[in-house]
Amino acid sequence: MKIKENLDSYLKYVSNWEEKIGSFLEFDISRTKGMSTVEGQLAGIPFGVKDNFAVEGFNITCGSKILEGVSAPYTATSVAKLQAAGAVVVGKTNLDAFGMGSSTDNSAFKITNNPWDTNRVAGGSSGGSAAAVAAGIVPFALGSDTGGSVRQPASFCGVYGLKPTYGVVSRYGLTAYASSLDVVGVVARTVEMTKTVFDTMKGQDIKDNTSVSHPGSRNNGDVKKIAVLKIEDGSLSDDVAKSYLESRKLLEKLGYDIVEIELPSLEYVVPVYYTIATAEASANLARYNGLRYGYRSKNGNDPGEIMQTSRDEGFGDEVKLRILLGTYVLRSGFQDQFYHKAQKIRTAIRNEFDKIFELADLIMMPVFPTAAFKHGSTDLDPFQQKVADRYTCAANLTGLPALAIPSSIENGLPVGVQFTAPAFEEDRLFNIAKVLEKDFPSPLAPGTKNWSII
Amino acid sequence: MKNSKTKAKYQTFIGLEVHIHLITESKVFCGCRNVFGSEPNTNVCPVCMGYPGVLPSLNEEAVKKAYQVAMALNCHLNEKAVFERKNYFYPDMPKNYQISQFEFPFGVDGYFDLELADGSTRKIRIHDVHLEEDAGKMIHEGSQSKLDYNRAGTPLLEIVTEPDLVTGEEAEAFVQQFRQMVRYLGVTDGNMEEGSLRCDANVSINEFGKGLGTKTECKNLNSSRFIKKALEYEIKRHTKVINSGDTIIQETRLWDESSSKTSSMRTKESSNDYRYFPEPDLPPYWPETKFLADIKESLVELPGIRKNRFIDEYGINQQQALFLTSEKSMADFFETVVEGDIEDKSLPGTVASWLSGNVQKILNNSGQGIEESSLSPRRLLSILNMIKKDKISTGIGKKVLGLVFEADKDPEDIVKNMGLDEGPDESEIFRIVSDIVDANPKVAEAIRDGADKQIGFFMGQVMKATSGKANPGKIQKLLREKILTGPEKN
Repeated sequence: MKIKENLDSYLKYVSNWEEKIGSFLEFDISRTKGMSTVEGQLAGIPFGVKDNFAVEGFNITCGSKILEGVSAPYTATSVAKLQAAGAVVVGKTNLDAFGMGSSTDNSAFKITNNPWDTNRVAGGSSGGSAAAVAAGIVPFALGSDTGGSVRQPASFCGVYGLKPTYGVVSRYGLTAYASSLDVVGVVARTVEMTKTVFDTMKGQDIKDNTSVSHPGSRNNGDVKKIAVLKIEDGSLSDDVAKSYLESRKLLEKLGYDIVEIELPSLEYVVPVYYTIATAEASANLARYNGLRYGYRSKNGNDPGEIMQTSRDEGFGDEVKLRILLGTYVLRSGFQDQFYHKAQKIRTAIRNEFDKIFELADLIMMPVFPTAAFKHGSTDLDPFQQKVADRYTCAANLTGLPALAIPSSIENGLPVGVQFTAPAFEEDRLFNIAKVLEKDFPSPLAPGTKNWSII
Repeated sequence: MKNSKTKAKYQTFIGLEVHIHLITESKVFCGCRNVFGSEPNTNVCPVCMGYPGVLPSLNEEAVKKAYQVAMALNCHLNEKAVFERKNYFYPDMPKNYQISQFEFPFGVDGYFDLELADGSTRKIRIHDVHLEEDAGKMIHEGSQSKLDYNRAGTPLLEIVTEPDLVTGEEAEAFVQQFRQMVRYLGVTDGNMEEGSLRCDANVSINEFGKGLGTKTECKNLNSSRFIKKALEYEIKRHTKVINSGDTIIQETRLWDESSSKTSSMRTKESSNDYRYFPEPDLPPYWPETKFLADIKESLVELPGIRKNRFIDEYGINQQQALFLTSEKSMADFFETVVEGDIEDKSLPGTVASWLSGNVQKILNNSGQGIEESSLSPRRLLSILNMIKKDKISTGIGKKVLGLVFEADKDPEDIVKNMGLDEGPDESEIFRIVSDIVDANPKVAEAIRDGADKQIGFFMGQVMKATSGKANPGKIQKLLREKILTGPEKN
């Protein structure tokens, strides 16, 4: 059914699903008025934006009490480019505060449920974006991916999740968590939509000095040889292990040249990630002090005290944990032991990936060791959730592009698989995804449907 | 005892940290205007206010000016310059970290040739030159604290010297000469009252040969005179403390001008750990060879070098050269006038004495700089030409100069309109001279016989006949011609 001609039933559908999953922090369909008059490749297409992006006319809470009620005074470059191509922002999606988490349970405002099973998380930190797309509310949504925050929830919800090459999409307007790892990512229902959105957003931006122009693929995105990561027994849940094996068999059946590889440096990915990410976060989040905008504590007699109490009352526990950790690893006298060492290992990890790409066009590996877990700490406690980031963090540390692709349904829950490509080889990711999409398209969660747009 | 006690016993080490506000169109990491004195919080945007999601975008103009200063200070330019985050919480710091440079600043290991009071120079080593952003301003009014972020994100260049200065007087001279240099370069207006040039001073004393002592840092030094006074106070205080057997506490001290004392502000123990790390939002800066070559090419001649060239090239004295090169605008003015008539070898000296005398007197009274006054190089040259060609006397010339400043008119027009040039021309003077000499043959005869003083009689007569407008030199020259040639005609 078309949204435009059936706006009432669409809105009813949205509110029904929103009641179940809580994917949006703000939703305003009135913005789609006059949609058909806009021209462009994405004309009239509604989309959701993770609430750590600045979009004029909406709030920018980052899922944290410290930014409650703050309205964005400007629009992120990535969002502005999509708007210029005709797409319409209909709302801001829920997230783990400041992108810190794997469940979206670290949002200060609401719980987001997985459309496949509302007792389970949608993943995180871009859980709202993934859940909204999986529930059919929007055909695509923007997320941010610092350590897997787009790919893991996409995988949990059965949709596509792209983490582009670092610097290819401007970060201007994306609230920084860890600046050297953050990328603007896409969650979408189809490969084609993922690619269109990415192509629309990419390009150098004078407002982001770390952005680069995309040189295009060196080999037309051709994929012949795929390196498949060897998985130690017991590293994955049974469901994910089964799905992973099937993905490998499918690639063989489709005639790809498969080579099994090991990446010893993956052992170091999680500690390196949490050293660098928290160090950068400790500085990035220092600006939230209640003086210029956002939550201001009533407890405090001078500006210095007000900064302290506002931060104490405004930040959640996970954010405080990471700020403390980051402050710790940056202390003078300890940098060589932690931060500088982590940077060296980061380079070594990148070198290991580069070596693999001398003999293969892509690397296949799992996204996450489990399918969507239950709310709370019954399945995975916060520490286990961090350890489980090992497959996703590597792409952020190396800056390489990676795509999470739905691979199967196991016991009623979607499972995904991840492909990583050399820098700027997003086209290889789209090509393999298109081939696999014919075999297994993004599955519809029970009771959901795809709304056509125009 | 050969010397006074302190001189014999202790050695003093003074190092300076000088901050200059760079003159640029926009702030260092955003497009906001970089100006002083606007209404509070009017030159601000999401970037310099530290809103979520913003990123710094490096201002190339600020980078160029930073390199100019680094080059002028003979620094080694790092192949790669890296911005770093300096982390500390303060209400006027929008991001609660300052983007600065630490391990790889633009320039390191330079020197500055400091001219000492006795005319000799000494190399003061420069530790580094680094670019950073300024913070906003917090103003306390009664029980309220108000924040103005106009200054937040404006480009600040910090120059750190090694502890090579030894007296408060030297430190004062350094700041004055350094200020002159950066004003020459045109990178800052160097206004200490408005805070475009700020200076902190580190000082320590120790027994000779024992190296650096425990230092204290002096802040709130808003003029070069305060720097001298504060350092002299601190050196005395250190000496007294050490002589009494106590130790100096490493701390930051605030200069209070009204009491002429420093007082403790904070000790090292409570100081910050800035947790520097490379700014991930700005890639390392790799200056291209051509970029640096172009900056080097565009570097202006620095005051010390220009002064020596003025002495050599124009044959003017040390005093005049020092005066002319004290401000770039004055030196430029001088050279433009001189270039107006390169044939005239006496012109540089004349221009130098006019500028340092008559012109400067007027400028001092009005408080103007020469570049903002109504005297242009062409106007001064035209006054000097009129004097040279005897169109006007030197005295009239001075009068015309004053009128140029007052009325903002060309000297030729002033002279014409006020009838200042209506003195007799040479043939007219010669006619008058001839008449008078012919009427007094005995006096002429006496002069020819050696009574030279009697020429004064003729001078008086001619001056009277020309109502004082004729040039005395010219009259005398014509008189002598007439008197000498007189008898032959008979």
